[in-house]
Amino acid sequence: MEYKILMKNDIVKLFNDLTNDYKFYAPTKEKGNIVFKEISNPEEIELNYLNSKIPPKDVLFPQKETIFEYRYEGKDVIIEDRKDLDDKILIFGVRPCDAYSFKLLEDFFAFGKVQDEIFLKKRKNSTIIGIGCNSPRHSCFCTSVGGHPFQKDSMDLFLVDLGEKYLVEAISEKGKNIIQKLSWLLDAKNEDLQKSQELAKKSEESITTKFNFDLVTKILGDNFEHPVWQKISESCIGCSSCTFLCPTCTCFDVIDENDEYNHRGRRIRIWDTCQSCLYTLETSGHNPRPDKIQRCRNRIMHKFSYYPSNYNCLGCVGCGRCIIACPVNNELRIIIDEIIEIEKKEESEKVNA
Amino acid sequence: MTESSLESKKNNKDWEPKIIAFLCNWCSYAGADLAGVSRIQYPPSIRVVRVPCSGRVNPYFIIKSLTDGWDGVIVSGCHPGDCHYISGNLVARRRFAILNELLEFFGIEPGRVNFMWASAAEGERFAVLIRKATEIVKKLGPNKKFEKKW
Amino acid sequence: MGIESQNNEIQNKIREIARDLLKEKKVDVIIGYKKGTLPLVSQPIIIDKEEDIDTLIWNNLCYVNLAKYLVPRVPKLIDPEKGNLKVGIVSKGCVGRALIHLASEKKINLNEITIIGIPCNGIINRQRIEMEIGEQEILEVSISGDNIIVKGEDFEKTFPFEEYMNELCKVCKIKSPPSISKFPNLCVGDYQEYSSLSTDFKDVTEFEAKNPEEKWEYIKDSLSVCTRCYACREACPMCYCNLCFVDQNKPIWFGKTTDISDIIVYHLIRAMHMAGRCVACGACSSVCPMGIDLYLINRKLEKIVKERFNFTSGLDPDILPPMVDFKMEDAEEFMLEED
Repeated sequence: MEYKILMKNDIVKLFNDLTNDYKFYAPTKEKGNIVFKEISNPEEIELNYLNSKIPPKDVLFPQKETIFEYRYEGKDVIIEDRKDLDDKILIFGVRPCDAYSFKLLEDFFAFGKVQDEIFLKKRKNSTIIGIGCNSPRHSCFCTSVGGHPFQKDSMDLFLVDLGEKYLVEAISEKGKNIIQKLSWLLDAKNEDLQKSQELAKKSEESITTKFNFDLVTKILGDNFEHPVWQKISESCIGCSSCTFLCPTCTCFDVIDENDEYNHRGRRIRIWDTCQSCLYTLETSGHNPRPDKIQRCRNRIMHKFSYYPSNYNCLGCVGCGRCIIACPVNNELRIIIDEIIEIEKKEESEKVNA
Repeated sequence: MTESSLESKKNNKDWEPKIIAFLCNWCSYAGADLAGVSRIQYPPSIRVVRVPCSGRVNPYFIIKSLTDGWDGVIVSGCHPGDCHYISGNLVARRRFAILNELLEFFGIEPGRVNFMWASAAEGERFAVLIRKATEIVKKLGPNKKFEKKW
Repeated sequence: MGIESQNNEIQNKIREIARDLLKEKKVDVIIGYKKGTLPLVSQPIIIDKEEDIDTLIWNNLCYVNLAKYLVPRVPKLIDPEKGNLKVGIVSKGCVGRALIHLASEKKINLNEITIIGIPCNGIINRQRIEMEIGEQEILEVSISGDNIIVKGEDFEKTFPFEEYMNELCKVCKIKSPPSISKFPNLCVGDYQEYSSLSTDFKDVTEFEAKNPEEKWEYIKDSLSVCTRCYACREACPMCYCNLCFVDQNKPIWFGKTTDISDIIVYHLIRAMHMAGRCVACGACSSVCPMGIDLYLINRKLEKIVKERFNFTSGLDPDILPPMVDFKMEDAEEFMLEED
């Protein structure tokens, strides 16, 4: 495995070398929020950040995306598919939890007979440069979902922040190609590798939030109608901040927009949320999830019970964004504690019986 | 509206604004009709939508017209006290007051969206007010702000 | 009295009143705030047991408008045997206003609620503090003297409370809930009669003096990060429509995308629907995940209804709100007239 060194001052050089071949996406500050946007000026790249507000899934699965466009010519309707799906995309600065979320998104969009061409083509053409987390937040829990602050899954290049420089490691063929392109990268020394291992260990030990999700999945499977859901959903206001900032949430709505004056239109998809009361409203007027309690329950079941059944892995990457975003502090840690209480209460009842 | 058609509109000296006019059936629409029958000339910039009463005009109509690319909007009804449905125009007047203040607050130039009263006997007045509104919108230029760009 | 001691006093008062109300069975549940698990949040809770009373707190982070838990679209607090539960709500001024305004729209029954009034001393502007701290994790927030102390792993910053309050709190004139003569037993704790309120809207007039291009650029710039999550709509007690205008599809009026035109239209029309109804609680700005501050729009709404119709929302459940009323003498200076 070849290790290289990238000086932080050379990020502009990296950008200039890669921007001709790739659409370059990196974290940048927008009205005080860190978001992943296409960069045209390398000075805008933000290197000092914990994690972005909106996850990098926004690059490959944006809030609004055109599926196809159509226009009228006389009596004919001409449909134009997307032409930009073969463009090469580079996403710089992705944290391990978000990189892992790309795998979960792939699982979802490639499931079954209908493959989502738009997402999968873009994913195939994208290169991910990830950065390890030196100081995870108190709300992060990637180690509880099978992850690690220095995990390299789904990345093509992995960087470790050593202060004034990054340690660069190629993970995939795409990564090796990039290292070849950036021939000016310096070779790494043994002490750089050692520091990287120390940082990894320190980072893992600093994670304070830990859950036993196997137990949670088991409890959820048996307790769909348990009265604890009433308590869990009481303070929720259905604001959908949790679903909008979640790296693995994939629900979308499809809308046709018409521009009659110019005889054209387009079909787009936009993010939808299971926390909206209209989410399951059917045209008959029947709504299988009319109340907040069912919608709150659905989100937890989806991430920690249905995903393991359907995909054999948890639907959560442990980024902690939902914990920070919830305006009524009805956060995941409290919910999981309540769920585990069910088991504890049952155990104590068995003992007392 | 595409970017190129907008540019050509701006540069064209003969650009005529496209204004959508919601006219109440009993007073303003009849007033417009009278202006026509009396051969009173006024600029052909307005496209008329007949509504039963100015109180029928939902603020959504006005905003949607702006997002669809119309350069100006006019809503015209009966004078207060003369509404065919007694108080429709009074309800509308409050609505328009709020909408007007908010549009101005958001930075839509005053004069793009106009409200007026014109009765069935006021053909001349109708033409004068349309002329005035067209002048204002022509000076403001094409509507660039709310347009949805693809 | 320093802010800390004010908070302690308010907190003790809340617990005392709540305990009495529950003990004497005047209410079945109490809705209040609990300490949050993260430094800059608080948690709304619904308690019905006396032993939970001591979890009720008051700190300057109680930004959620609790009236939201009583509006039509939210599950009703009902007991299968008792019927509608009687509710006691810990109310700062804006929460009380919201409850009274909802009563004027006939959406809640004031006989079924008890307003536990408190003299609110302002809410911390958490979005602004998070933005100024930037990309460092905040571990602790406390009040000391007249300052907010924010601590992280390797930093400590001080912010003057008066400056870092919510913008709406800075100009708030209704700090404790309004009392209503028709319902003498509605409020306990702190409450006040409000007869005439000053009409100083300097902050709004300053913005209005700009030319249209500057206004548009400012609004466009501050709203451009909106992700259309509708957290502002869900946090607002006045947004209780079963089908919101953005969700209508027969016909589709306005787009739901993040194009700037769609974003501005959504906020413009939502503001229009709030005319005469907004109680300036600031919850919409506090819950926004992207940190957008809508205070200027909310202030403008108050100015419009005060100047045109001499109306302030949430003071009297019997006065008709301005948008469901009309008068022959309404001002029409904005109308197009012949020269």
